[in-house]
Amino acid sequence: MRLDYLELCGFRGFLERQRVDFGTGFTVICGRNGVGKSTLCDAVEFALTGQIDKYLVDKAAKESLDDYVWWRGEGHPEAHFVTVGFRADDGSGFAVTRSRETGADRDAARIEAMLCVPGAKPERALQQVCRTSIIRDEWIAALSLDLTETQRFEFVRAALGAIEGPDYAAKAREALSSAEAVHNAAAQSYEEARARLTAALTDLEQIRDVALQAGDVAAVLTTLDELTPGAGPDLGARVAAARKALARRRSNLGEMGWVADEARAVAALRDTVARHGDSAGRDAAAVAEAEIAVQEARRQLQAAEARLDREQESDGLAASLAILVDHGSRIGLHDDRCPLCRAPQGAPEFEKGLASARERLAARRSAVPEARGEVAAARTRVEDAGEILKQAETVVHRLASAQAELEAREEALSAELVRRSLDGGLAYDPEALEEVVQAERSRLIDLERSILTLEASQAVERVTELEARLEALRAEADDASDRLARAHAAVRTTRTLDRTVRRTNAEIIDERLAVISPLLNELYQRLRPHSEWRSIDYGIRGDVRRFLSLRVGNGLNPQFVFSSGQRRAAGLAFLLSVHLSRPWCNWRTLMLDDPVQHIDDFRALHLVEVLSALQRSGRQIVCAVEDPSLAELLCRRLMSEPTALGRRHDLDLVPGGGASVTRSTDIAPAMVGVLRRARDLSAAS
Amino acid sequence: MDIATQSEVLLRSAGYETWTWPGGSVPVVCFENATVVGFLHVFASGESLLADWQQIQQTTLGRHAASLRSAGTKAWNVYALFLACGSEPALARRIERIEEDFSMTRKIARGDLRTVADLRRTLLPLLPVLSAPVIGGADYRARLRARLSDLPDDAVAAFLGAASASEVARILVDAP
Repeated sequence: MRLDYLELCGFRGFLERQRVDFGTGFTVICGRNGVGKSTLCDAVEFALTGQIDKYLVDKAAKESLDDYVWWRGEGHPEAHFVTVGFRADDGSGFAVTRSRETGADRDAARIEAMLCVPGAKPERALQQVCRTSIIRDEWIAALSLDLTETQRFEFVRAALGAIEGPDYAAKAREALSSAEAVHNAAAQSYEEARARLTAALTDLEQIRDVALQAGDVAAVLTTLDELTPGAGPDLGARVAAARKALARRRSNLGEMGWVADEARAVAALRDTVARHGDSAGRDAAAVAEAEIAVQEARRQLQAAEARLDREQESDGLAASLAILVDHGSRIGLHDDRCPLCRAPQGAPEFEKGLASARERLAARRSAVPEARGEVAAARTRVEDAGEILKQAETVVHRLASAQAELEAREEALSAELVRRSLDGGLAYDPEALEEVVQAERSRLIDLERSILTLEASQAVERVTELEARLEALRAEADDASDRLARAHAAVRTTRTLDRTVRRTNAEIIDERLAVISPLLNELYQRLRPHSEWRSIDYGIRGDVRRFLSLRVGNGLNPQFVFSSGQRRAAGLAFLLSVHLSRPWCNWRTLMLDDPVQHIDDFRALHLVEVLSALQRSGRQIVCAVEDPSLAELLCRRLMSEPTALGRRHDLDLVPGGGASVTRSTDIAPAMVGVLRRARDLSAAS
Repeated sequence: MDIATQSEVLLRSAGYETWTWPGGSVPVVCFENATVVGFLHVFASGESLLADWQQIQQTTLGRHAASLRSAGTKAWNVYALFLACGSEPALARRIERIEEDFSMTRKIARGDLRTVADLRRTLLPLLPVLSAPVIGGADYRARLRARLSDLPDDAVAAFLGAASASEVARILVDAP
């Protein structure tokens, strides 16, 4: 199947209706940037799939590529559609028209049926057809060297087509899911059965413990009648009433314990007060004696302080006399009179008088320090007597307080006992009160034992029931365990099945890759991206995730060692090898959109020769280029034959906007036997 | 290796008409198909190739000038091949650089040919695609049956047959 024609109107940059007839051998499309070369490739893809797969960005500013599929410039196209026509080797043809209004006139399944081999086509076959038949400038590196190794493996795997027969991989996955679901359900059933069995075992052991306490039921009932009268004949009701009474009386007993403790504390306080009451008279006498001692000490202090005042006054007079003696001595007699007393005196008499006064002053001893010592001692005695008084008063006060506290607690305890329907006098008899508490405790023990005995009598029957149930649960758990074991084994087996299918699929893919490897190498050698590294190898690794790596030279990754031009050349070799290795594809057209960007003239020439080789191997070549001289080279070098003509279309923009095919030229076949004629002529001459 | 003879074998297999031209100072094989004409020159050594290829090309083209002038567009598709055996790598690289000379002819130059495979690689630009991968049936079902021999027969039969996946799982769960 080859491309026959393309007709489009109102599509992308084409306003007017245009028809492009493709040469059976090859077609070269030439035009500068923006005149619609790529749109012709887009139109073929859009007609087949309803989408254009070349844009990395699908949406921008709330607009998508869909908003730009149809003409958006000035003017109104007469229609919006794309038609692509195909022609088979037997001359039959078919066409697909996709319009803006009605979509495609053929469904995808019918288009696939025309372009693909039934049974071997991959998933999303039409997308795979376009992706591997229309090699665009944008994708040459991106779809080859720049792919991750897993993406590259998937790309090749999809291009090589499905493995014939049913999709056993999907069936194995589904079987594994089913087996896992059965296993999960069996595991849950097993866990639930085990939980029920465990719970029953616990119940049984508890009931057995209770049953062991079974005793004389008649005696117990008598006890219950005494302790919980009026509970009725029903045993369960009597046990329930007894449990309620037990709880209530336990609470009461707890409180009685507190009351007994208080009674003992009050008795201890009472003893203390009584002991101190015997010495109360002595304590009062001690206070009176201390008060007298304080008064005596204070009196002595007053006397000592009065003496100190006198001594200090006497010392002042003596000091004044000494000053007068010194003064008189310095002045001397004045007019034979004493300067101090104006008495007429002779000098000897005056000196004698001074000497006598000095002697008396010298003989005088100050008594002030002694008086001060007495004052200090008197003050200490006052403080000591005060302290003794304070201690005596404290003893008397403490006794009074204890007496008051005792009276209050006795009164409160007595009231509490009366509130509990007991004799208030027990507040003064802790031993009697303790006997009351012990008697109540004993009754409670009897009551609890009675309850346990009654419950135990019921538990004996429950034990038999539970043992029977336990047997059933054991059987159920064993059954669940058996089901779980079989489900587990089934999951293991299904995993083996799944792995085996995947491994077998991988083997087939590996083998197919091995089959196309020589083609990849041949194309690589033809395109010669690198002058030294003349061959390229691939490697596959991974079990679940598969990786396809490309290597040149001594295990080098061309993605990282090649220039952009070399990468594109190596990428083209990869993409062309994939294109030629599609056993499932009937469409024998290779479309290249501007494949020589970034490639030097030398390698562009290699590409032209590769396209020539592909054409000679039966491919229809459609190649869009910008450079007119390259277009001429393609037209010369590709083979135009009467049965498989070549054609060239030149595109340009026309007045009024829109792209248009401005010239279409059939490429005439080259002259045949050019050198042979010369040889023949030479031989003839 | 007889380069001239082996070249003719390969070119004829690719649909070219070939013959030898005795007028050159080295063996020359002429070839032609619907789009291409060419002259294949065989040199005794890489050194003589490097020294003489221009003069020899001049001679060959000169002697065929009349034919080429009348060839129309085909005259643009003239190939000149310069081949020799056994050159050292450095010399072989220098010889290959001749290919970057685009004047008058498309040149293919090799000085280190040793085997027919080397020659086939050299002539690739003139040959159709040689590798034709045939991805045939993988006998998938038989392979799977052999790989799954450890599984119960009825489960394998169900898996490879029309039974549903859940039915396959059920058979495996119920397997003894």
